[in-house]
Amino acid sequence: MIAATLLRLALWVLLAPLLPGIINKVKAWVAGRQGPPVLQLYFDLARLWQKSVVLSTLVSPAFVAAPAVAWVAVAGAAMLVPLGPLGAALSFRGDVLLMVYLLALARFCTAWAALETGSAFEGMGAAREVSYAVLSEAAVFAAMLSLSVQTGSVSLHAMLAPVSGAGTVLLAAGLFSVLLAENCRVPFDDPNTHLELTMIHEAMVLDHSGPPLAVILHGASMKLLLFATILTEAVLPTTGLAPLAVAGVVFAGVLIVTVGVGLTESLLARFAFRRVPMLLTMAFLLCLFSLLVAWKGGVA
Amino acid sequence: MTPGGLLLLAAACLLAAIGLGPRFERPALAFTLCGTFAGLLAALPVLFGPVDWEWKTSFLLGGEKVHLLLDGVSAVFLVLVSVIGGAGAVYAREYWPASHYPASAGRGRAWWSALVLCMGLVLVVCNGLHFLIVWEAFALCGYFLITLENRSPEVRKAGWLYLAASHAGTLGLFAFFGALAARAGTWDLGPMRNAEGMAPLFWLVLFGFGMKAGFFPCHIWLPSAHANAPSHVSAIMSGVAIKMGVYGIVRFSGWLPVPATAGYVVIGLGATSAILGIAFALTQNDLKRLLAYCSVENIGILLIGLGGALLARAHGNALWGRLALAGMFLHVWNHGLFKSLLFFGAGSVLHATGKREMSRLGGLWRSMPWTAGLFAVGAVAVSGLPPLNGFVSEWFIYLGLFDAVATRSAFAWAAMPAAIMLAMAGALALASFTKAGAIVFLGAPRTMAAVDAHECGLWMRGPMMALAAACLAIGIAPASLWTPISRAVGSWHSPWVLQAPPTPLQTLGSVQLVLAMVAAAAGVWLWRKVRVNGACRNLTWDCGYAEPVPSMQYTSGSFAGIAGGWFFWIFLPERKLRRPRGPFPDKALRLERTPDTVLERVIAPSAGFITRLSTLVRGFQHGRLQSYILYLLAGLAAVGILVYFGTTK
Repeated sequence: MIAATLLRLALWVLLAPLLPGIINKVKAWVAGRQGPPVLQLYFDLARLWQKSVVLSTLVSPAFVAAPAVAWVAVAGAAMLVPLGPLGAALSFRGDVLLMVYLLALARFCTAWAALETGSAFEGMGAAREVSYAVLSEAAVFAAMLSLSVQTGSVSLHAMLAPVSGAGTVLLAAGLFSVLLAENCRVPFDDPNTHLELTMIHEAMVLDHSGPPLAVILHGASMKLLLFATILTEAVLPTTGLAPLAVAGVVFAGVLIVTVGVGLTESLLARFAFRRVPMLLTMAFLLCLFSLLVAWKGGVA
Repeated sequence: MTPGGLLLLAAACLLAAIGLGPRFERPALAFTLCGTFAGLLAALPVLFGPVDWEWKTSFLLGGEKVHLLLDGVSAVFLVLVSVIGGAGAVYAREYWPASHYPASAGRGRAWWSALVLCMGLVLVVCNGLHFLIVWEAFALCGYFLITLENRSPEVRKAGWLYLAASHAGTLGLFAFFGALAARAGTWDLGPMRNAEGMAPLFWLVLFGFGMKAGFFPCHIWLPSAHANAPSHVSAIMSGVAIKMGVYGIVRFSGWLPVPATAGYVVIGLGATSAILGIAFALTQNDLKRLLAYCSVENIGILLIGLGGALLARAHGNALWGRLALAGMFLHVWNHGLFKSLLFFGAGSVLHATGKREMSRLGGLWRSMPWTAGLFAVGAVAVSGLPPLNGFVSEWFIYLGLFDAVATRSAFAWAAMPAAIMLAMAGALALASFTKAGAIVFLGAPRTMAAVDAHECGLWMRGPMMALAAACLAIGIAPASLWTPISRAVGSWHSPWVLQAPPTPLQTLGSVQLVLAMVAAAAGVWLWRKVRVNGACRNLTWDCGYAEPVPSMQYTSGSFAGIAGGWFFWIFLPERKLRRPRGPFPDKALRLERTPDTVLERVIAPSAGFITRLSTLVRGFQHGRLQSYILYLLAGLAAVGILVYFGTTK
């Protein structure tokens, strides 16, 4: 049990940094550039892990501890996500709530660490992060309710094996928007901008360096993988397939989502901040309509 | 000892503490602690055993026989009263000492014990007339505690508002108990689930106890009373006293039949309070007002749980109703624990700096590391995050709501919005408490008062540590509390007694334990890694400011700006803006205040109208005899005309 969990954790830890690499490759490909290697984040993480750290004179030890706690929270949430035929490391009634709230714990820690520095930019980033999360949390809950109504279960293991129905398209669109918002991708946030005023997540980590920054970056990539996996499994009906086929389908799905994120980022500009709440409300409404469809008889 | 003996002992100790309080500090504290401990011991056998404690006597008080009852429901609340009553008494020893407050310290001790005693009596009294008496005594004790510092006009105003609101509620309770006694034929209380014609009385219960519980829009007295009271008083008022209102609603919705729509109304009120309470909290600049509004949110969460239970009870006793109700009972404890912890934390900040405005604080973790850490624990707990206790109770309520939605029946219309609004309230709570914790304790000090702060002593720190430990303990071992919680659920509705704890609860407990340990280990490990790699300290980089100053930090107002803007329609904030003018602008100003919409935009104007009307009418009474004789003649003439022209048939 423990060995299996550790293996699973290793899988998550090792695969997660691949996603930002793929996204960047897609973006470079669309723009006609060669772009950084797909494994760039691995190199960055290895380099950051060796570096010494500059700490602000204002920060408390929590500035360093909070990213670690946030990473543990995201990793814990990842352990609850079933991986196709492998299932989840731990599955119980109501684990979906624990997963959502573990991600909230990660958000709390990141915002707390950002505010440690007493910097206006980081305060701004934290304020944006926790405020927009209100709407994305509503969307996530609507989506999870929709899955729960479809499958009659409150456990991720059963919820993420849905029967495809009319609401699936709505759910996919809603969850994809939530994925973009929660992982700070265009059009909600631009991870590559050099203007701090327009950032959310990157503005929060301005003062982090060395190993804590590595932990934050790795945690962010794991969160992206988590959302991509959930989106894939929530949308694709995999019941009845052979285990190997399910694994292949999920893997392909995650890849498609990742490429989709890259394409979105290449083809869309970041929205003005006052339009972000509207976009998130739209994501919420999409999830809500999928819930209504699931409830009022889209699928039996 | 039997629960009865222990309760008697508790009452005797508290009476002694009331008597000794004004003069003798240590004996009063010892007696209060003995009393609260005895109260706790009395509640435990009822919660962990199968039988209620009941005492019917032929002794008459006010013409009514004394009848006391301690069952599962009241024992849950009695535990909370005892724990916070004891913790607050210890805290007050350093927070409100006679050396600083010679006039009010002794008075405060006596009223404190009286408040704890009266709340305990409210929980065990089982006769309508006696209930009204102890309820009124409890309300008055609260008033005298809130106004301990009665020289300040703000405190007097807050106390007055509390008293007025409390009595408005009591008016409803008079009507309720009167009507109940008239219909039942006795003042004696007890289960009357099958009595006819009682159901409409539930609306009186909801109003009368709701004024004390403080759900939206009955919360008008909460923010100012909790902000202006001494912090240990705020802690017990917010953590325990408003729960007495919840106790009333829970108690009488369990004993009496309720209208068919009651479940929908309660769940709707709960969801509204949860969202609006926490939205108001987010925009506050006063730390204690923020905490007070957060209590409105948590009462909302409790009502969502209760509403779910009422709906389930009315629709065939579905399992999800039990889950929601169990979550509600657990949240009663959890909110009491972490809210008192947070108010104690706010109290130490106030004690150290003399300031409640967050925009005047900052950077306090350096001088007050214990308070900062313990406040952070409270902030995580109140935001409902794992691995602490807040998550466990919200998890229960969510499970109930999710199951209700999955049934695809009509009441899913109530459960679905409630679940989503609860999620949004949770996210807003997270925003509010990152703001409160960070603006107060992190960054650079914004004023000299914040620079000169000092850590509180052991008498204040001890209760905070105990409460924080309780928050963690409930988080990592929730299954151990299943017996008392299911006992309370069974007392509320007897078919709902559950024997074994649901297995996910044990799993959840172990997951939270592992999570807490791994998170702590990871934090320490990363800190050591940083030390090994080498760390140097420098100014906050912040994209290259050469000399950042404290006033450049993000403020509480700007932090709340985005989410606060979405609630503009209900906040109706007051704004004062003076733009910088001319080529050499001297002064610019932007002030923003979020008044309590219900109090200042609805109740104050309508009360003003009534006052003006009364003033107009008062003009008729001026003391001039001639005019009075004229009124008399006019009256006689009117009667004469009526008699002369009127016809009798």
